[in-house]
Amino acid sequence: MDTLVAQYSCPAIEDTTLDAEQDELLHGPDALSLNFSLPPIAQPSSWLRAMTDDASNPNCPIKIAHGTTTLAFRFKGGIIVCTDSRATQGNWIASQTVKKVIEINNSLLGTMAGGAADCQYWLAYLGMQCRLHELRNKRRITVAAASKILANLVYSYKGMGLSMGTMCAGVTPQEGPALYYVDSDGTRMAGNMFCVGSGQTFAYGVLDAEYRYEMEDEEALELGRRSILAAMHRDAYSGGFINLYHVKEDGWVKHGFSDMNPIFWKTKLEKGEFSNVTADME
Amino acid sequence: MASILPGAPQEGIGYSFSQAAPNAASEPRQHSFYPYSDNGGTSLGISGTDFTIMAADTRNVSGYSINTRYSPRLYLIGGEGPENKGARIVLSVVGFTADGSALKERLDNIVKMYKYHHGKPMSVSACAQRLSHLLYSKRFFPFYVSAILGGLDEEGKGALYSYDYVGSYEREQCRSAGAASSLIMPFLDNQVNFKNQYQPGSGTGHNLQAVVAEPLPRERVTQLVRDAFTSAVERHIEVGDGLQMMIITKDGVQEKYVELKKD
Amino acid sequence: MGGFDFSNHNRNVALHAKGMPLPKATSTGTTIVGCLFDGGVVIAADTRATSGPIVADKNCEKLHYIAPNIWCAGAGTAADTEFTTALMASNLELHSLSTGRKPRVVTCMTMLKQHLFRYQGHIGAYLVVAGCDPTGSHLFTVHAHGSTDKLPYVTMGSGSLAAMSVFETSWQGNMTRDEAVKLCSEAIMAGIFNDLGSGSNVDVCVITPEKATLLRNYITPNVREKKLRNYKFPKGTTAVLNEKVITKEDISKYVTVHELQDDEAMDVDS
Repeated sequence: MDTLVAQYSCPAIEDTTLDAEQDELLHGPDALSLNFSLPPIAQPSSWLRAMTDDASNPNCPIKIAHGTTTLAFRFKGGIIVCTDSRATQGNWIASQTVKKVIEINNSLLGTMAGGAADCQYWLAYLGMQCRLHELRNKRRITVAAASKILANLVYSYKGMGLSMGTMCAGVTPQEGPALYYVDSDGTRMAGNMFCVGSGQTFAYGVLDAEYRYEMEDEEALELGRRSILAAMHRDAYSGGFINLYHVKEDGWVKHGFSDMNPIFWKTKLEKGEFSNVTADME
Repeated sequence: MASILPGAPQEGIGYSFSQAAPNAASEPRQHSFYPYSDNGGTSLGISGTDFTIMAADTRNVSGYSINTRYSPRLYLIGGEGPENKGARIVLSVVGFTADGSALKERLDNIVKMYKYHHGKPMSVSACAQRLSHLLYSKRFFPFYVSAILGGLDEEGKGALYSYDYVGSYEREQCRSAGAASSLIMPFLDNQVNFKNQYQPGSGTGHNLQAVVAEPLPRERVTQLVRDAFTSAVERHIEVGDGLQMMIITKDGVQEKYVELKKD
Repeated sequence: MGGFDFSNHNRNVALHAKGMPLPKATSTGTTIVGCLFDGGVVIAADTRATSGPIVADKNCEKLHYIAPNIWCAGAGTAADTEFTTALMASNLELHSLSTGRKPRVVTCMTMLKQHLFRYQGHIGAYLVVAGCDPTGSHLFTVHAHGSTDKLPYVTMGSGSLAAMSVFETSWQGNMTRDEAVKLCSEAIMAGIFNDLGSGSNVDVCVITPEKATLLRNYITPNVREKKLRNYKFPKGTTAVLNEKVITKEDISKYVTVHELQDDEAMDVDS
């Protein structure tokens, strides 16, 4: 019993820090250390919420960068993954050039919505785990397994304040094109179509109306682009550049990181869409 | 502010001494543990073809008081000894000074130990990723700092990385962080990335061609940096006293100091 | 007498409770001082007005006219100091017209404190009242809640501690006019350089029984240096989607158009 207690209780003063630090200095850092320091209080998660959650407290001192509209859908020719590129900290546009599609390896993609750092860090971690899986088992990890690594990981941090809504898209010989949604609540679902982020409803609107499984590649790419454009147009927290990927049998192909403005005007002027936008002065 | 609307409406007769209760609608907040303070500071980095310029003001404040008029916010990372001789990476940290210097100390240790272990200096991209991990290691107890890291990449081009509080990072052409970043960043968007600028006479209506952003020469960037800061000083009370600049080129890091207004 | 319209109060409190931030008032996070000397009184102020950490006005006037022989320096909410002093100026003018005498400084101070006390501090005016009347030279401070002080040298505002430290080291009795002006401007300078809420220039007002002299921008220690680059955009840099030309004739239907001579034409930033 005592050993059990000793195992799960921590000493009042962390006297091992120095040793651990010296150890790290001598032997080099852990590749990706999973030791997270916590504030010295009873309820770290509610403290963290008070400090960082600008939804519940607009005056919170630490505003974490958030990502916004992302979508992915499965169709005849594979999977389309498309995102905007805006990061916001509260009402401030922190960046217009965020890469929200994370290339885990040459056939697996992850998308970023929610906390930018959370997504960046844990998808990099997932990339590492996928590579280790490859080395250990002499074959590519399945999308199902990869997404489950991520889902289990975030589930172990449930309630701590992680914020991510991510999609894993990829192809493997076992599964073919596969798409999974994983979020920081621990949800993990396979599906044909997902939109994630504050602009998701706008993207779904276009996507649901125009989606057919039997689309040609060009049609599908255009639909991805158009859906994100709709979200960027209507959602203040989405904007910047359209980041477009196509996942095919032999891996993913990038289809540009293009400024939304010329695309918007092209869509309006050549196709007559967005007719509510006018430059009339009367 | 408090003088305009002092909290919730009072029930019944209000006595002059009864302090209105905090708003019932807001959720309970923890006030007892607040380990941060805001020491102000504004930093700015711009990268060019073969150089990166980092700059930050040197005023350290708390509330309406000035703690010191010269607290450097740019740090050399790596190199030899406590003077960081031969270092080619510069870190700027603004926000909470204590967290900033702790972060700088950790990163400096890591970069120096890397050279000790591997016998070669750490690349900026590796250093940038390591800094991201350092920030993320305190995801649940964040460093209250905005960091910018500058240097030269493996090809000798200017490299600049910017971070949020918990380690999300990105390589960029230019970035301003800290107190007056909201004043400087729009200026940079316009003057460095030429946002909202078009070539006069290049077309009519939608055929008008946008000005294409290209890396700027060093002299011009230095002038932009100084104008950005003298303007920020005019309109932000926490910015002033001095401007510390570090210019990173293949020949080393050149440090400059320029006086700013002290009011 | 006019008053305040409270019809939006309950709505605003409810909105605030739901998390909507209150609008920011421009406050003069300020240094204001005053000092008596032999034969008169001096008041002085800095010229920075702030809204949070942003400088709203680099050269505002914080010295307010109340009566020909009474001036007032204001700190706190900019609108409150302006309207309160303007109200006092009107009332004192009527008062002196009715009595046929010059207004007294105590009268002004008493009217101010009674007005402010009535509003329980909600009118955020912190004032230094100074003037000369047949009973002598006087210097008062009036706080937003209605309390007052009568002292030979006073400071108020966020820079009051910095300014007071100057008074406490250098003040002495029976100073001359020039000594008092120098002391007051040094106190303001201490505020300008050591308090973030204060900045830019020094305004001084010297009041003697004969007349009041406003020395606007008496010291300007914070002149902006020249920008290194020219930020003039070539014509046609901004994209235009549509154009509508409004001719001078069209405008003349609504306003009077006045042609300027070449030499008085406005300077467009060159």
